[in-house]
Amino acid sequence: MATAAEQWVLVEMVQALYEEKEELIEEWQPEPLVPPVSGDHPALNYNVVSGPPSHNIVVNGKKCVNFASFNFLGLLDDPRVKAAALVSLRKYGVGTCGPRGFYGTFDVHLDLEDRLAKFMQTEEAIIYSYGFATIASAIPAYSKRGDIVFVDRAACFAIQKGLQASRSDIQLFKHNDMADLERLLKEQEIEDQKNPRKARVTRRFIVVEGLYMNTGTICPLPELVKLKYKYKARIFLEESLSFGVLGEHGRGVTEHFGISIDDIDLISANMENSLASIGGFCCGRSFVIDHQRLSGQGYCFSASLPPLLAAAAIEALNIMEENPGIFSVLREKCKRIHKALQGISGLKVVGESFSPAFHLQLQESTGSREDDVKLLQEIVNHCMDRSIALTQARYLEKEEKCLPPPSIRVVVTVEQTDEELERAARTIKEVAQAVLL
Amino acid sequence: MGGGSADSVPPIERAQMGEGGCFLETAGVEASAAPRAPRASEASSFFRKVRYLFPLLLEVPAPSLGVPLQVTAEVMNVGVAHSEVNPNTRVMNSRGIWLAYIILVGLLHVVLLSIPFFSIPVVWTLTNVIHNLAMYVFLHTVKGTPFETPDQGKARLLTHWEQMDYGLQFTSSRKFLSISPIVLYLLASFYTKYDAAHFLINTASLLSVLLPKLPQFHGVRLFGINKY
Repeated sequence: MATAAEQWVLVEMVQALYEEKEELIEEWQPEPLVPPVSGDHPALNYNVVSGPPSHNIVVNGKKCVNFASFNFLGLLDDPRVKAAALVSLRKYGVGTCGPRGFYGTFDVHLDLEDRLAKFMQTEEAIIYSYGFATIASAIPAYSKRGDIVFVDRAACFAIQKGLQASRSDIQLFKHNDMADLERLLKEQEIEDQKNPRKARVTRRFIVVEGLYMNTGTICPLPELVKLKYKYKARIFLEESLSFGVLGEHGRGVTEHFGISIDDIDLISANMENSLASIGGFCCGRSFVIDHQRLSGQGYCFSASLPPLLAAAAIEALNIMEENPGIFSVLREKCKRIHKALQGISGLKVVGESFSPAFHLQLQESTGSREDDVKLLQEIVNHCMDRSIALTQARYLEKEEKCLPPPSIRVVVTVEQTDEELERAARTIKEVAQAVLL
Repeated sequence: MGGGSADSVPPIERAQMGEGGCFLETAGVEASAAPRAPRASEASSFFRKVRYLFPLLLEVPAPSLGVPLQVTAEVMNVGVAHSEVNPNTRVMNSRGIWLAYIILVGLLHVVLLSIPFFSIPVVWTLTNVIHNLAMYVFLHTVKGTPFETPDQGKARLLTHWEQMDYGLQFTSSRKFLSISPIVLYLLASFYTKYDAAHFLINTASLLSVLLPKLPQFHGVRLFGINKY
């Protein structure tokens, strides 16, 4: 709103304020530069990985099977992808040394955007050089002060930062609860009818994830599209975990549900999971995506994606297009280990059966989050001793809006054989029994 | 700018008011205190309200230091990079814009004069009315910015007058734009020989363009008109 008009201040009052200023300076005590932190803070006790985080990962000198990295299609160590990256490295060098608008646009960037748009069957795509910054730049490019965003409670941290940067009104609805979302939309509709002139200039958005990183569940997209057309809101779909996983050809949750991609206004995904590259992309209609070329902060004001990574992503897309069978293979493996991990006493499996990244949470929490974290860390350490590399889902506890309960995040990749999956399930069962009982 | 006595603070404006003959100084303070001298009992609450605005109090803004400084400091930034979040706030301080404004009004007057049907009084009244109408539309009706600003649309609901200098009142541009319709009004009154009908039209037009410029009308939208 408007700033208040100037005020008149007496000279004597200004003098008194100066004296008060001196007092305040005297009594100020600086905070320590580094706040005191306990010795077992996870950031101080990290695991050291030597070599690439591929299927067989070397953690703290011990060879383990990787159940922690989001390498869903196993393209991290793929020789074709590495060869394409090396060719690009010899051609272009390593970095681009500039943002897209300042001599940082290479033909590989345009190629990758073209390929992604064709793959997702949309008009245009735009590449960001950092996966976190993709959705965090896309949301504030469209949603400004005075606009309303309906977002799921389990939205990932990148979405939360994007919403914070947008300065819009945020309405949280319960995770995957369409009735709650409809209630909020109805309330907003009543407000709009009271003030139609304000409603005409207010934009409404619904931000959801395809497969939620924090819970491993899928969003009910058909109902969301119905709500979108009923209450006139735009849908922003974040497909970081579902791109290259769901759908017949790996196109994500829209293909999984058979919804036309034109119903979704913006799809955003990061290329750091299935595509085994770095960065992210947004795709949609040209009218929508073109706006981000000037308003996407992460696009305009960050150096562009290194060409070797763009070439690696193009090769990864080639592989995805050549063998569309890997997606169903991946989903089969997910279903298998999901079934195998049911019935562990003390741990419950949270997530869809076909989700490659799901969580194991404690069935009964001990009461304090630190104890839960310690317990889960024991399980993780024991599994690591038996060469199954797992990790806990870590959060910035003070910054998250709705902090999820502590959990172990298990990731299934296409490279894991059935024996390894069986062994992992058995190991987790035995370790959980040993630690929790 | 450091601490020290208040006399070292360069005064923007000196106005002698009747209350005890003390000098009053202006400061860009976003306080809700009424513009009268608060008594000792409410002084502390007033201090608490303005405490967090110490930097603002001490950093008395430069543009009103004096005319010579302003002319050299403010340049029209066309085609160059600038760090201004909302360039609309600085448009009316740009170099040469006051002269351009005066020339434009003169051009309007000359065009109206060249129409053979209008007498001199009619031409002056028309100049006054058309100038005030254009000023009302561009300064007090059109809201927001024609470009995207990096502050996520802080000025989306503000008119250009409210955006000028980020809401700071009594700056030079604001004074210039307040005085120019008054000058036109005086000229129009003279050239219409103080005829009653012309007087009514010109006065109504002047009021319509002077009232929105008052600091009390900052952000005010009467009857919800033009609110969103």
